[in-house]
Amino acid sequence: MTGDLVIALAINGLVWGLIIALIALGLSIIFGLLDIINVAHGDFFMLGTVFAWLIVTATGNYWVAFLIVPLIGLLLGALIERCVLRPIEDSAALSIVAAFGLSLILQEGVRATFGATPKRLLDPIGTTIPIFNLQYEIYRLFAAVIAIVAIAGFFIFLHHTKFGTWMRAVRQDKDMAIAMGVPANRVFAVTFALGTSLAMFGGVVAAPITSVEFRLGLDVLPLCFMAVIIGGLGNLPGTAAAAVLLSLMEGLITSFAAPTTARIVSLILMSIVLLLRPQGLFARSAR
Amino acid sequence: MSGTFDKSGSILTPLVSEGAGYLMLAAGLVVLPLFMPNYQRVFAAEILVWGLFALSFAIVYGVGGMLSFAQAVYFGMGCWGFNFATYQLQLNIWGAVFAAIVAAMLFAIPTGFLATRARQHHFLIVTVIISVLVHTVLASGHYRWIAGPYVTRAMTFVPEVPVGFASLSFKNELVGYYFTLFAVGLAVACAWLIVNSPFGKALRAVRDNETRSALIGLNVNRLRLLMFVIATAFAGLAGALYALVARYTDLEFFHWTYSGKAVVLAVVGGVHSLVGPFLGTAFYMIAAEYLSQYFEQFVIVFGVILLIIIRYAPDGLWGLIVRYLMRQGR
Repeated sequence: MTGDLVIALAINGLVWGLIIALIALGLSIIFGLLDIINVAHGDFFMLGTVFAWLIVTATGNYWVAFLIVPLIGLLLGALIERCVLRPIEDSAALSIVAAFGLSLILQEGVRATFGATPKRLLDPIGTTIPIFNLQYEIYRLFAAVIAIVAIAGFFIFLHHTKFGTWMRAVRQDKDMAIAMGVPANRVFAVTFALGTSLAMFGGVVAAPITSVEFRLGLDVLPLCFMAVIIGGLGNLPGTAAAAVLLSLMEGLITSFAAPTTARIVSLILMSIVLLLRPQGLFARSAR
Repeated sequence: MSGTFDKSGSILTPLVSEGAGYLMLAAGLVVLPLFMPNYQRVFAAEILVWGLFALSFAIVYGVGGMLSFAQAVYFGMGCWGFNFATYQLQLNIWGAVFAAIVAAMLFAIPTGFLATRARQHHFLIVTVIISVLVHTVLASGHYRWIAGPYVTRAMTFVPEVPVGFASLSFKNELVGYYFTLFAVGLAVACAWLIVNSPFGKALRAVRDNETRSALIGLNVNRLRLLMFVIATAFAGLAGALYALVARYTDLEFFHWTYSGKAVVLAVVGGVHSLVGPFLGTAFYMIAAEYLSQYFEQFVIVFGVILLIIIRYAPDGLWGLIVRYLMRQGR
């Protein structure tokens, strides 16, 4: 295995890790504010890739999908939060089961309409750039940059806007925030919408570098879970960092061992973190 | 007393006394297959098996309050244990079924320990991760020496169950059905005993208010682990019975989406009762069978039904029936 291939796999891992970080951030804010573990989150990612494929097939232009799909995510998320989750917001367990029901509906819905065969989306940039001795797809680098921009934008939104401050207030102490006049219901709706949108945006970005099929969510969800656990449930920067590091590590391991071995190493790492430091590797304090 | 784990008593008198109702149900289950064609008997047995699997989730969640997405792993361990005992150890069916339960419970001890250390929401994620870990390791092929050829296996011979001095062959589908019914009946009886025992009451206390339970001296961690392991026994039994009835086991049964199946079936039927999981399973499987041409779309409909039930009838279909019967008797 040449050094160039190792570097390429490492960069692949980095790119994928940034995309997973985006998705895991969505999962994390939904958990942090709404107390729901959204087991359908991977399926929203899948839906993003499917919508990207549909829009590209219909319009021939990837960038249209790039703009529209996150907006669809916002709308869909707000709708689901309002109609499905708001009525049962008192029971966290029922909400999780409802999320699983959603997952079923999404997967089978896509299978029934889009079909069961995986489809591929063409690289919208199409050119490569030489890195050391290898030709590396520019699109992947673009995807990494976009993911970084999106993650940065997300944190700026969270820390420097009024609504972001509302979200952090509700996360810290819901009753107090309501007492101070924060419109909690609106915050919940926007949070879920934002989480869904992040997942679907991850889907659009990832669509050209992965195969589009209805089972995609099942592969992505455990990765997000691992990032969230290792980073610390509710710890947003930690989750993003964990996602990137996990993916990078898996990419490096894949260069000399089978991909399943890399996944098993990640899972074992996660189990160790759970046993020894359950609040996450990057947590500042035990929560 | 209603047919659920929660209500302690009701001021309404039911239409039929509870005991009589259950007796009628049991009698019906015993007599029904005599009037069915052979393939339907196998189908009925499968409903019982998947219902038992759903019951294992209802126990760990309805009584223990733990949302476990790992029940499929123990179902798979039951399949594995059954195959291992039958092919490697050459045990008869009774031994193999017992081995299946033991295999599931043994595996549940370390995994349950890992899972119950986690609180609340971590627990769910940990059970998913355990499922993914087990499934990935088994699927990777390198690790065949761990599980051997006992995971994905088709049964090439017709099993026979020794009863007393005779040996009944499964060639007659009735034998398969009654064996399953017997095993499931025993399991449900055990579950009933556990739920109504002081242990079951302690667990419900832990489920409802963990802090208060700890303050009155209940060992929360140990109770949770115990309940988790006991629930997996039901899943393991279901795995063994499935291997017998369907004569086929597969690696895919370990996947966490099968655990999700248990969750969904139990919630639709009624997760706070013993009958509910079977009702949900029967509903799903019968509807799927008769709508089989529309089956893919049916799962979508089923998902919507699940959402509606969660919203309007959290006690599931069985909860609806119980409430209806209660009202009729007034």
